[in-house]
Amino acid sequence: MLGLFSLLALIALFLETAIPHLVPAHVLIPNLIVILVVDLGLRYHGALGALMAFAMGYATDAFSGIHLGVNSFLMTLLFLLTYEMSRRLLVTNALVGSVLVFFGVIMTALGGLWLGSGTEVLSESGPMLPWLLAQAAITAIIAPFVFALVAQCRRAIGLPARFARE
Amino acid sequence: MKGTFLWRNRVLLISGALLIISLHMISDGVHPDDVVARPASVLIEILGPVQAASSRLTEGATAVTRDYFDLVQVRRQNLELKGELGRFTSERARLAELEVENRHLAELLDLKDALGLQAVAANVIGSDATGLSRTLVLSQGSADGLQPGMAVLSNQGVVGKLIAASPHASRVLLIDDHNSALDGFDQRSRARGIVAGQVDDGLIMKYVDRSEDIRVGDTIVTSGLDGFFPRGLLIGSVKGVHREGPGLFLTVTVVPAVDYRGLEQVMVVKQQPPKLDDGAKGS
Repeated sequence: MLGLFSLLALIALFLETAIPHLVPAHVLIPNLIVILVVDLGLRYHGALGALMAFAMGYATDAFSGIHLGVNSFLMTLLFLLTYEMSRRLLVTNALVGSVLVFFGVIMTALGGLWLGSGTEVLSESGPMLPWLLAQAAITAIIAPFVFALVAQCRRAIGLPARFARE
Repeated sequence: MKGTFLWRNRVLLISGALLIISLHMISDGVHPDDVVARPASVLIEILGPVQAASSRLTEGATAVTRDYFDLVQVRRQNLELKGELGRFTSERARLAELEVENRHLAELLDLKDALGLQAVAANVIGSDATGLSRTLVLSQGSADGLQPGMAVLSNQGVVGKLIAASPHASRVLLIDDHNSALDGFDQRSRARGIVAGQVDDGLIMKYVDRSEDIRVGDTIVTSGLDGFFPRGLLIGSVKGVHREGPGLFLTVTVVPAVDYRGLEQVMVVKQQPPKLDDGAKGS
């Protein structure tokens, strides 16, 4: 489990950092780490999930922004919110996951601006909202495919596709 | 153990502890040499070679794709010369790539000579992970003498400054990131200000006195007073001057001189301009 998510997080970070540099046009790159964290929150109800969400946030911090801790905080918070929500909801299917991913991308982006640069920068973020909404939408659209891929990987290494809910 | 309060709320408790650790890291401001920052350096070091390899692969794939299309065109025109032309096209693409790289490096060398500073050339191998900040990953790191705080330039102008360096890779904070600021002045009117990045796009020059004569099209260069960038390097040109509002200062929007998306090679200035502190310590 730990190895699988570490590998997936590294692949996600590689794609997120390499693709914008390699393609000539300004393309929207889905936030794959948010999808992995939401998947953890929905399907892995253990303390290790929180640690992995923190670690994935820390890894994102290594490749984004200037403050270590911002994404660690936001990814742990997103995990916690997703986990709490999945405990209260009757259904936690891919659609619910996509909705959570959509809001997760917006929350982590705006939260990152606020934590990293303060309220002044956050108040100036209006012009980037269309871009942010588009990124959240694209991430939400591909989320079910990533969830399915993660489930397949789990099965392939002999883990259950989803874990028992609390 | 399983029925206890601690066990039932373990996810909440551990998440809470991790949130507190994260907040502590943010509020304390982690220094690149701190123990907490070492795993980040290791991560950059792990992904650095993969990013460099993918960068080379893509360049190769682009050349192959280009060659293929050239070849199809040649085949339509003259089937007999297909093989020979394919070879020449391939060779030409390779030489063109070498020529571009050579020109970039020669321009960087000219800049290095003109500045008279110790500098090292580096390849750009990656971008920011989230896209919300504007950073780049370089193929050189502390093993090549790079350290956080060093200025990064291109033949077009100022690029940014290093914020992290692992042994074989490093990260640059671009000057158009909203966390970036440097001291600059208008080359024509000599009006000074702080050039900072914006959340959306472009640069803004802050704290320029309302009485200053700044015009659209003026060139903005570094002043060297921030202790990071040598004096006289091109930052960009004035796009707009806004005098509305009752404030003490003008709002000047600046278009960066460097096209950050197209950057392939950059130069890192290893020798930093002397700071006021250095002089004070020395005297």
